Amino acid sequence: MEEKNISSQESMAIISEMIERSKNRHYLGDGNILLLWGYTVVAVAALVWILLAITHYPAMNWFWFLIWIVGGIATPIMVRKRRDKRGVTTYADNLCNALWSIVGYSAIALTFLCVGFLLVGGKDSWSAMLLLPLVIVSIAEIMQGVVMCERSLIAGGAIGLLCGLFTSCCIAGGVTLSAHWYMPMFIIAFAAMMIIPGHVLNCKIHRKK
Amino acid sequence: MKELDPLLHSQLRLAVMSILMNVEEADFSYLKEMTNSTAGNLSVQLDKLSTSGYIDVEKGFVGKKTRTTCHVTEKGRAAFEQYVEAIKTLLNL
Repeated sequence: MEEKNISSQESMAIISEMIERSKNRHYLGDGNILLLWGYTVVAVAALVWILLAITHYPAMNWFWFLIWIVGGIATPIMVRKRRDKRGVTTYADNLCNALWSIVGYSAIALTFLCVGFLLVGGKDSWSAMLLLPLVIVSIAEIMQGVVMCERSLIAGGAIGLLCGLFTSCCIAGGVTLSAHWYMPMFIIAFAAMMIIPGHVLNCKIHRKK
Repeated sequence: MKELDPLLHSQLRLAVMSILMNVEEADFSYLKEMTNSTAGNLSVQLDKLSTSGYIDVEKGFVGKKTRTTCHVTEKGRAAFEQYVEAIKTLLNL
């Protein structure tokens, strides 16, 4: 393409062609970030479950923070690499980034609140942390699925949300969240929310290539 | 009859503006690939659009490589919309 004057018809043709070529609003990207979080959460949940079953020592729950360490370090690196590789940022990208930032900040705020409750000798409020990944994360995922028109994200998010609502009813109803049934449910929910959609997205990208 | 903005009524500059109107920001390599232009020509046209205030050009680094990103300004957006209106009038659309 050169710098030359054009007719009105050519102008319209160029505008249409460029809009068509750069129509990236529904660009999904790969599912690697979902897989990173999915496998990390599932691995840490399994580790905590095993340690709790063997030791019966509640302090093993501190291992949950491994999720934030791994995800918190790897995610910004992966996001920046992906952006640099694509060379373009769309409105949908900004919307999804803002959505996941809200989830991240909510998690940080909730963690501080739970630690605060613990320090002032209040009743154990860590069960509230179980709601965050299942309710807030799943809602964010459903919204991302709607923006990106990706069914696997919507379906996975819906399964997670259902598990989250069930958990909130258990907490409100005074039902003990026993590791024997809660941890498998948590692992299945995260596999449905992140691992399956992550592989679906990677499969779609692979097919396009 | 509406006047066509001479800054936009050029093949490559119009192509660049059409892309930037459709995205939040795009880097130099992406624009070069989308418009099938040469680096030198694209660079000159980006300078012209930037000087007129139609786009913002930011230069940064990714590792050791330079990265130039562009995004359309409010002035550029208004100019493009006016240009499209003028073209529509000319073509009786």
